Amino acid sequence: MRNEERESWWGPVALLMFLIAFSMNLLVWQLSGGTEFSLIVERMILGFTLAFGLTSFALLLISLGAVHRHVRWQEQVMGLLLLTGLGLSLTNWQMDGSFAAMRNEGVILLSGITAMLAALGLVFGLLLALVTGREHVPDPLLQMESTHGDVSIELED
Amino acid sequence: MSSLADPWIGFWLPLALLCLATGFWLTDRKDSRKRLSGPIFFVSVVLIVAFGSKTRGGDSSETALLAVLLHMLGPVALMAIGSLVATFSGPSPVGPLPRGLRPLGFLMAMGGLFWIGWMLISEPPDAIANGIGETIWGAWVEVFLSILILIATLAGSFCVMMGDERHKEALTLAGLTIAGGVMFNEIMHNGSEGLLAAGWHQIHWEEMMFLIGGLLGTLTAVLAFIALVYMAEKRAPDPDVIAPLSEEEKAVVDAVLRLHLEVEESE
Repeated sequence: MRNEERESWWGPVALLMFLIAFSMNLLVWQLSGGTEFSLIVERMILGFTLAFGLTSFALLLISLGAVHRHVRWQEQVMGLLLLTGLGLSLTNWQMDGSFAAMRNEGVILLSGITAMLAALGLVFGLLLALVTGREHVPDPLLQMESTHGDVSIELED
Repeated sequence: MSSLADPWIGFWLPLALLCLATGFWLTDRKDSRKRLSGPIFFVSVVLIVAFGSKTRGGDSSETALLAVLLHMLGPVALMAIGSLVATFSGPSPVGPLPRGLRPLGFLMAMGGLFWIGWMLISEPPDAIANGIGETIWGAWVEVFLSILILIATLAGSFCVMMGDERHKEALTLAGLTIAGGVMFNEIMHNGSEGLLAAGWHQIHWEEMMFLIGGLLGTLTAVLAFIALVYMAEKRAPDPDVIAPLSEEEKAVVDAVLRLHLEVEESE
């Protein structure tokens, strides 16, 4: 029952986060006078394909490094090779074949990842410090001392 | 002729080597490749440092990224050390620090955030003041503030959700959200030193949207990898059927069993 009550909190929390993200975009929209929706979609697709290709490539290299005789590496390596090729080819096609532009966008991706990790580290680091520092009200049961079985019971008439 | 100043050799190759070193590190400890992970990691770091020292901020986007990371190293390290000091100076059962250091830890963690705020109102170094360097720095700050606002809200709500009067925790995280929100609002309204508000708007619509797409792309690639491993394991043939024991093997098993049974009976 208590768990159900707690789970029902996730809806409002998700809604609150969505509202904050929406408000941030609305603020920028109002201050900047708006932007073309097609530009937003174009940039998101470019980020998606580039990150997809680079992540697949990183996973391919990790898989190649960790390959051993029990793993079914052919499927894994060939699959990741295809996914990498697909992601990077689509990105290259969107950028008119410019590898220099791809490098610049890749660097921005790395910059975003480091910023995200720094923000996550700050919030969860502080949360950890706050949660571990909680002082609890002393439990009277824990203060009691053992009588080693020497118990006397007083019965009231 | 390739040289260490070439970004493909000095930046992207070490990143690829780092991935390979991670793969080596994941192997069994008896595997000889495990011992290679440390040296490859070291070589990668040396290559990146050499690349950074041979180039200047305006040379390439990779050098600009290194300049941004170096610029942010101070506040990020302050935040990280502050969080650790605050954690271990509390009622920690492992490696406790003096209790008096706890407020200092919180001050250091919040100081890191205000250091970033101070960076926004002071003149940026040349490496990140113009061109691609400015875009990379702007994208870093915007992502940091956006994630800070959203995740601090999530963590604060989680504290409220958990109950047990976690008001202090929720209030501290609310303070973090408000501080991040004020900084975000300020740069979007008035810009920062060296970058007008219009520049921040452009970074928001171009780079933030690009990075949101990037986050989705990364998650999709990880899911695709899991699907690949699942498919490969599903297609794996059943282990070979083991042939039944020969008469000779049966005799050996029989002898061993009888021997043990006789020993037990005599006991």
